[in-house]
Amino acid sequence: MRDDTALWDAPRNPATPISLGPARLTPVHLTRQTLVSGPNVLQQTDLPLVDWPGAAPSDAYAAILRRDRLLLVNAPETPDGWNDTTQQATSDVTDAYTVFDLTGDALPLLGRGAEITPDIPSRSTARQLFGLGVFLYRMEDAKTYRLHVPRAHAEALVTHFEKAASHG
Amino acid sequence: MTLRLPTGGLIDRSKPLTFTFDGKPHTGYAGDTIASALLASGTRILGRSFKYHRPRGLWGAWVDEPNAIMNVTLDGHEFPNCLATTTYLQGGMAARAVNTWPSARFDMKAGLDLFHRWFAAGFYYKTFMWPDWHLFEPLIRRMAGLGAVSPDHLDTYTSDQTHDRCDTLVIGGGPAGLAAAEAAAQSGQDTLLIDDHAQLGGTAHQLPQIDATPTADWIAQRQSAIEAAGGRILTHTTAFGIYDHGLVGLAQNGPFGTAPRLIRLRAARIILATGAIDRPLTFANNDRPGIMAVAAAAEYLARYATLPGRQIALLANTPQADTLAAQLTQAGAQVTHVDPAQSPLSARGGKRLKALQAGDRTHPADTILASGGLTPLVHLWRHAGGSLAWCDRRNAFLPGTPPDNMTATGAANGSFETDEALEHARATGQNTPAKRPDPKHHITPHWPAPGSKGRQWIDFQHDVTLKDVELAARENYTSVEHLKRYTTLGMASDQGKTSNMPGLAAMAAIQGRPIPEVGTTTFRPPFVPVPIEMYHGAHTKQLWNPLKRLALEPQHRAAGAALGEYGGWLRPGWYGKGDPVQQAQTEALMARQTAAIFDASPLGKIEVMGPEAEAFVNFIYYNTIATLKPGKIRYGFMLTEGGAVFDDGVIARLDANRFVISCSSSHVDSVRTHLEAWRQDGNDPDRIFIHDTTQHWATLTVTGPRARAILDTLDLDTDDFPHMSLRETSWQDTPLRLARVSFTGDTSFELSIRASKAPALWSALLDAAKPLDAGPIGVEALSILRAEKGFLMIGKDTDGETMPHDLGFTAPRQKKSTPFVGDRSLHTDKANAPDRKQLVGLTVPAGAPPLPTGAHVVTDDEIPRSLGYVTSSYLSPTLGRPIALALLENGTDRMGDTITAWHLGETRQATVTAPCALDPEGARLDA
Repeated sequence: MRDDTALWDAPRNPATPISLGPARLTPVHLTRQTLVSGPNVLQQTDLPLVDWPGAAPSDAYAAILRRDRLLLVNAPETPDGWNDTTQQATSDVTDAYTVFDLTGDALPLLGRGAEITPDIPSRSTARQLFGLGVFLYRMEDAKTYRLHVPRAHAEALVTHFEKAASHG
Repeated sequence: MTLRLPTGGLIDRSKPLTFTFDGKPHTGYAGDTIASALLASGTRILGRSFKYHRPRGLWGAWVDEPNAIMNVTLDGHEFPNCLATTTYLQGGMAARAVNTWPSARFDMKAGLDLFHRWFAAGFYYKTFMWPDWHLFEPLIRRMAGLGAVSPDHLDTYTSDQTHDRCDTLVIGGGPAGLAAAEAAAQSGQDTLLIDDHAQLGGTAHQLPQIDATPTADWIAQRQSAIEAAGGRILTHTTAFGIYDHGLVGLAQNGPFGTAPRLIRLRAARIILATGAIDRPLTFANNDRPGIMAVAAAAEYLARYATLPGRQIALLANTPQADTLAAQLTQAGAQVTHVDPAQSPLSARGGKRLKALQAGDRTHPADTILASGGLTPLVHLWRHAGGSLAWCDRRNAFLPGTPPDNMTATGAANGSFETDEALEHARATGQNTPAKRPDPKHHITPHWPAPGSKGRQWIDFQHDVTLKDVELAARENYTSVEHLKRYTTLGMASDQGKTSNMPGLAAMAAIQGRPIPEVGTTTFRPPFVPVPIEMYHGAHTKQLWNPLKRLALEPQHRAAGAALGEYGGWLRPGWYGKGDPVQQAQTEALMARQTAAIFDASPLGKIEVMGPEAEAFVNFIYYNTIATLKPGKIRYGFMLTEGGAVFDDGVIARLDANRFVISCSSSHVDSVRTHLEAWRQDGNDPDRIFIHDTTQHWATLTVTGPRARAILDTLDLDTDDFPHMSLRETSWQDTPLRLARVSFTGDTSFELSIRASKAPALWSALLDAAKPLDAGPIGVEALSILRAEKGFLMIGKDTDGETMPHDLGFTAPRQKKSTPFVGDRSLHTDKANAPDRKQLVGLTVPAGAPPLPTGAHVVTDDEIPRSLGYVTSSYLSPTLGRPIALALLENGTDRMGDTITAWHLGETRQATVTAPCALDPEGARLDA
């Protein structure tokens, strides 16, 4: 039985942007995040598909996680569960992932957390960044990188970015 | 006596720098290393050997130096084990030789050398056995080791870590590396050239000109050409290891006192141009200060304008030695060229060298420059899996069959002649196959001669002598790997750069075998010592395996929670500032008397969906799940293929094709992986889908006799809601899953709501609980509550061999008719063995304290045998006595037996009982 409270910094205000030197990490509030899986899910969605490096529109889109799984962003609400007609499994995961936009001189920071370059495309947006599982892609402006990190690891990701930024 | 020449070198004479060595002031120049500045000042002794504390001077000029290791203090901060030959001088440095006192020149432990006959290889294996090794260990440990780590923590010493990639990586910025990089860059390849020195050029600086161009201009031209073609150049950067899939570890050094940057580089192609180093000659007293490698002397002369000495005996027969002799003579030194084939050879002198004795001739000398030939630096080649090929003409191991996408060139490839090396390097850079140039010279072998007289050093850093190798051979440690471990040859911080070749050659000679048949030891990263800091970088403290954070952490902190790690999550252990044990007792009692609120958010919420979801979960679970009705919950186990309990928990059925698995809090990631593995192997992955929604939800447990009253306050309907049921309802217009399950044995409800609404729900529950004298509890209280009921925690009350029938769950094993994971293993002899450890409860005599967790239940034999161990032990506030759970051999047949528990030398008595100590009828569940 050990009180380790003092070893762990209190969580940040989740709404406050974080300055990372020449880059900036801004929390993003999305209306909805929906996990959809199915054998033909990539062909079934009407939303624009986003891969790496990607060009996600500002409203609704579908980030590819794997060949049978999408993360729908700001998509219309659909019932959770198995849909026999579409052969899709659906789960609302809006609060499962904390979302950030990384702007400014982002690539050097991302390069500290992952072996990554926009020159090498990937069908999936799923990555290991600083050892944490994230979904990562670029927005339409080609300057903004969007990250979805499991909520419980959001603090760790932000701290990693701060450490990386401290190295210039 | 200064050995610095008035002109020449790469040093900046306009920037003199003062520093101290072992307390004595010295001066050098910008561009000097500590070693070159000390050599220039005439300092001969820069360190002491590891075991015998023999005085040692400089052998090498760069990473091959075995002895000049120093603790260096700058700006009040001390840095241990800096290699003087690779540490660039800065003004104000205070360097101290390691492993010496009070100084390298006058070392109090030097007397150990008088007892060297008793300190042969492996002496400590034989000498300190009686009466007890631990008696000697503290003293030996104090005497061993190199520099001491400063207790001061330097917060700014943090390594940057980054990733990079390129088409072609050229390792080594010498003549061959420069030529290869230029050719690669100009042929359109994304090229990166790295070199560990501050300035490019490598051994080129030893040459007056290359391609009829003054060397400095030639280097500058190559550098400009590389950069003009889009190539990149990193100096101060060492490739310390090559790993799978073309991953190269680069350590980029910054100013002294800063941690190197780790660059994980992925290169499509690697050109190895790492050069070669001199092999020492093995003769009597060959470790004396003033005996230096030929190549090192050439470097000191070329880069630092420093003579190695004034009266030099040149003991080598390589072409490089001839060139150096002329340069040294021109610089004013008196050089005597001695054929190393003369025998016997011995160095005369102590702290200062006096002469080289060659046969019956004495050659007065203050310096001996020695070379047994050049050894290509093939470490990285071997890291990558390349083979080595022995060359009789060069007397060296050369790169053989290449690893994928790697080519060696220059001296690293055995090309010691500049023109041929450049031609080969340019072809290599262009990715044109090129044959290794034939050597122009045949090097006469000069290997250690077993049986010859005198103390002859093989490993200068670890004080391994030829006699030690002979001893190892006599004791049958003839494999080079055994030789290495027995004698510690090559195990020092220089990793045998200078000692491995003489060592294996000595073993070859002793056994009468050819050198290539004896082979080399394994080359492993890192090529040079690198700070551990560089490996972990930011992955330390809170970022070393970062814990998962609860959505309600701010609320828990505000409520005075004591947070700690529980299964990978930062969770409240208890609330309040009092004695933790008492706090947990108070919370547990409150839960039994009124009610408690517990943040159970880490519990798994893994959804299994699809037309074959039912069959899948029925296959995954030990228990039958197929019969579970929608809206119902069942407790069950997942097993490994070996039949051991992998996880436990409840599974709820939401509808015909949808299940939610509430696995253990600490096992969510592994259960998800387990499910995915089975989904994709042996099942139709198009008809089963697994969504881990754990972090979307927060789960709050309300437990205790007044739990229903708390939910009533929130207008949550609990009527007609039996135990092990689930409802999908809403609270404040937000979907809420209400589950009736219990981990305490009391009436309990689990309320799961999306995480962003958790603060509101938590606040409402606490407000409702307060008038009832109920409140929050932490994990410690919950652990007591579940132990009172005999409810187990996987991994705490089970081990890697526990099967479900060891826990009292026998029915599926006997009756389940459909296949399930682990089924076959539950029917093996091992699974049916009569001495399996089974979960039991233990009670202690009235008034006795709780048993220690981990205490072994032992037999009463003269030599006791462990029958099992206590897995959980608490003082039960409800029962007013200690309770315990244990895994005990054949435990169910020992009910009522008195057993002996042993812990740290003390024995206790206890009685075996059923695991459940409280309310075995389950009356409290529906109270």
